[in-house]
Parts: sequence; C-alpha cells; structure tokens
Amino acid sequence: MSIITISRQMGSLGDEVAGALSSKLGWDLITRDLLMERFFPDIRPEQRTRLGESAKFYLSEYKDGKTFKDTLSESLLSMAKESSAVLLGFGSQLLFSGSENAIHVRIVASDDVRLSRVQKQFHLSETAASELLSSTDRKHKRFVSHVFGKDSTDVSLYHLVLNTSYMSVDECVAAILAAFREHELRVRITSETKNEGAIDHQTDRPVFKNASEAEFAKILDMYHIDWKYEPKTFPVEWDSEGNVTLAFSPDFYLTRFDTYLELTTMNQKYVTKKNRKLKKVKELYPGISIKIVYKKDFLELAERLKAFGSPDPGNEQEE
Amino acid sequence: MEEIRYKKVLFNNEQILARVDELGKQISKDYAGKELVILGVLKGSLFFFTDLARAIDIPLQLDMIAIGNIPDMTKSTGIVRITKDVDINITGKHVIVVEDIIRTGLTTAYLLQTLEARKPSSIEVCTLLYNPERQLIDLPVKYYGFEVDRSWLIGYGMDSGEYGRNLPFIAELEH
Repeated sequence: MSIITISRQMGSLGDEVAGALSSKLGWDLITRDLLMERFFPDIRPEQRTRLGESAKFYLSEYKDGKTFKDTLSESLLSMAKESSAVLLGFGSQLLFSGSENAIHVRIVASDDVRLSRVQKQFHLSETAASELLSSTDRKHKRFVSHVFGKDSTDVSLYHLVLNTSYMSVDECVAAILAAFREHELRVRITSETKNEGAIDHQTDRPVFKNASEAEFAKILDMYHIDWKYEPKTFPVEWDSEGNVTLAFSPDFYLTRFDTYLELTTMNQKYVTKKNRKLKKVKELYPGISIKIVYKKDFLELAERLKAFGSPDPGNEQEE
Repeated sequence: MEEIRYKKVLFNNEQILARVDELGKQISKDYAGKELVILGVLKGSLFFFTDLARAIDIPLQLDMIAIGNIPDMTKSTGIVRITKDVDINITGKHVIVVEDIIRTGLTTAYLLQTLEARKPSSIEVCTLLYNPERQLIDLPVKYYGFEVDRSWLIGYGMDSGEYGRNLPFIAELEH
C-alpha cells in the first residue's frame, strides 16, 4: 500500500496539509496520539509523559525486550502492508526511507510567517512565540537525531519540500497529490517487468532522438493521451557471458492504455528488422503490449496536426 | 461542387443493412434488461448510428457527440476537444460508442477517456469499419461491421472534403 509522510515545522500549517490530504485521498491520518492509542494500548501514563519529553526514552524497553522505537517501527510497517495512510511526524520519513511506495514531504515556512501564526494561534507575545518556536524546533530535531540518527531538516530526506509562506494549504495538497500520482505511475511501470530483466530508465532525462519523435509527442498531446518517453529497455539477446547484445527501447509508453509504441519513419527493409525484434520482445516479455507506428500512419497523423487551427479540420477519416 | 470519383463499391446498401441488422440483434441480446445508452460520433457515424439504433429492439437512450480541432492559443498546435457534448446522464449506465471507422484509434481513445470520467457502468465500442492492424491503442471494440484495409473510403456517412456522405454504399476512393 502507499504511504505519504509529512514532516513539518511548527507554524508551517503542516497539520492542516496532512488533514486535507488524508480526507482528499480517503486514507487514515496517523498522528502521534493515534499511534499511542493503537500501538501502545497498555502504556502507563508516566511512560506516555516521558515519551513526550525525552527522545531517548523511545530507545528504552516497552515490553517483551522490545523498545518503544522497535514496537513503533514494526507496527507501522505491518500497518502499511494493509492500508494506505498519511503519517504525520514522529520520524516516519525515516521508518519508510527505503520504501518505493512511500513519498516524504516536508512542510516549512519562513520564521516571520511561523512567528505570526503561532502568536495568533496561542495568543502569545512575540517573545513567547519566538521561544516556543525555537524550543519546538529543537525538540523535533532532537527526536529524529536521537531515535534515527538523522537530521530532520536535511532536505535530502524528502521527495518534496513545500513552503507555506508562498503556498496555500490547497496548493500544497495539489502539489503532493500530483507528485504522488506520478511517483505511483513510475513505480507501477518499473514493477511490471521487474522479474523479466527489463532495464528501467525513467529517471533519466528524456531527449528525443529525432524530429519525428518530438512531433509524435505533440500528436499524442493533441489527443490528450498521456505518455512517457522511452521509460524502459527490453534486452532480447545475450552473449554466452550474459551481456546484452540486442535490446529494444520502445519510444513511447501510453500510461492510461498500458501500451508501448515504437515509431518508424524508415523504409520497409528496416521495418522488417524492427518487426522481428518486436516479435522477440513479445516472446520474452509476455503481457507487454507493444505496437509499431508505421510511416504512413505517422504521416497522416502529422498531416492532421498541421491542419489544426485551420477553419476546416478536413476529413474525419484522417484519424 | 466536386465530382466524386471512386474506384469500386466495397459494400453495397443491402450488405450494410444486413450487417447492421445482425449487430442490432446481437446488441439487443447482450444488453437485454440493462440501461443502454448509444452515443453516435458525428458526423461520420450518422447513418450507421440511425440504422443501428432502429435495429436494436430493446429500450435505449441515444445521443450524439462531436469532436473537433480547436486551436490552443498557448501552444503552437491545437488540441482535440468535444464540440458537442452528451446531453443525457450516462453515470451508472451501459454505454456503446458508435463509430464509422477506427484506424489508429487515437480519437476514440480520447473520447473513451473523457466519457469514462463520468463513471458509466460499462463502456464499449461499436464501429462499422475496423482496421485492427493499424490500431495503436487497444480499444474495447466489442462489435464491428466489416474489417477494412488501409484504403480511403467514402459513403454511408464518410466524406471526401465533406462530399459523399449521402452515398448509400461504401466505396474505395481514388487517392
């Protein structure tokens, strides 16, 4: 299942972002209070207080020889197998740091903005609000550093850092959702042929090899068809040492239709060669849908692209 | 006015109507007891759509949809958009999109994407003419009249420069 972790500064509206995100997704919002209730049902009140005060206390024994930290990690990891959730705080970005089904978000704001928010929220003087902010920042930092040995303010821990000095809660939620959907899609594409040995290069920067490919991307855009450029390479032949000697990288992947397209604007001799390669891919990677866009179809579609915007769009057959 | 020159008639009116009748019977059988909506894609499917609707003998709702090319001021190329939308509610209903011809399938893919967002119970495609070899996207083509090759066609709704739609048969164009 999927996990979105939210780490936030006090006064950054991180709680509001997490709340809005969980209701938009229909996922549980896991907060510190909920964690205590769910995973530490028989915790004593004094233990609970100490957990709130001392980060080191997380490393002491809870029961059966397990620390609070161990119990927390195990419970969260097993929960994540069952259901998707938004996790707020408690170093969850580190508990799920290696998980490809998780994205980690940090919500921040400038000191001035945070100060004025905290002053308003708790009816505090500027000095008192400033003290509250720095002590809370120190406490958050100390918790993550003692329990996980990391610096929670290190931006490299996160997929996304959002600043609510410049963005509203709604804007943050929209940005997280957009990033999450793209990430989920990439993970799906990667996992589809994981076992068959296809090479994934979705994180490479896409560069079109020729003008036809760039034009074909425009054609797909014209029809609102979502695509990824060369997300994968499918090895089809290996030498005796197991080195790949022949591979096929289809030009486009249509995400909503789960189909790879290979563009060909070459003459028939090469097309036949390409068709043979394609046949091999289909044998080695069953379940993958790959189609060839032939020169004639490409030219017709390109012609249609050119006709766009003209008062008479022309013959409907030129699909 | 343009004189229409075609090479040969591929399907005459009797052949077309006989096939449409078979499709109508099949659809009536498959969708008996279901809330059926058939959507004709303007303008090419006009005659196929009206003949097919009358060959189906179960209760149905029908509507037409049109797509066009609209220039987008923010981009160098335009984008495909619905220029005449469906007026009836299709949510929770069984929809059949009726097309004259499916080749690469990009237009139909766009239509299906748009219609799926309205959460119909099911959505299928019925096309009179079909060229599976050219199709770039696997579409849910549940019914088709005839398979065709790459040639250019005219008649029974299909045009050449807007002429020829009223021909009662389907012919191969000189191209």
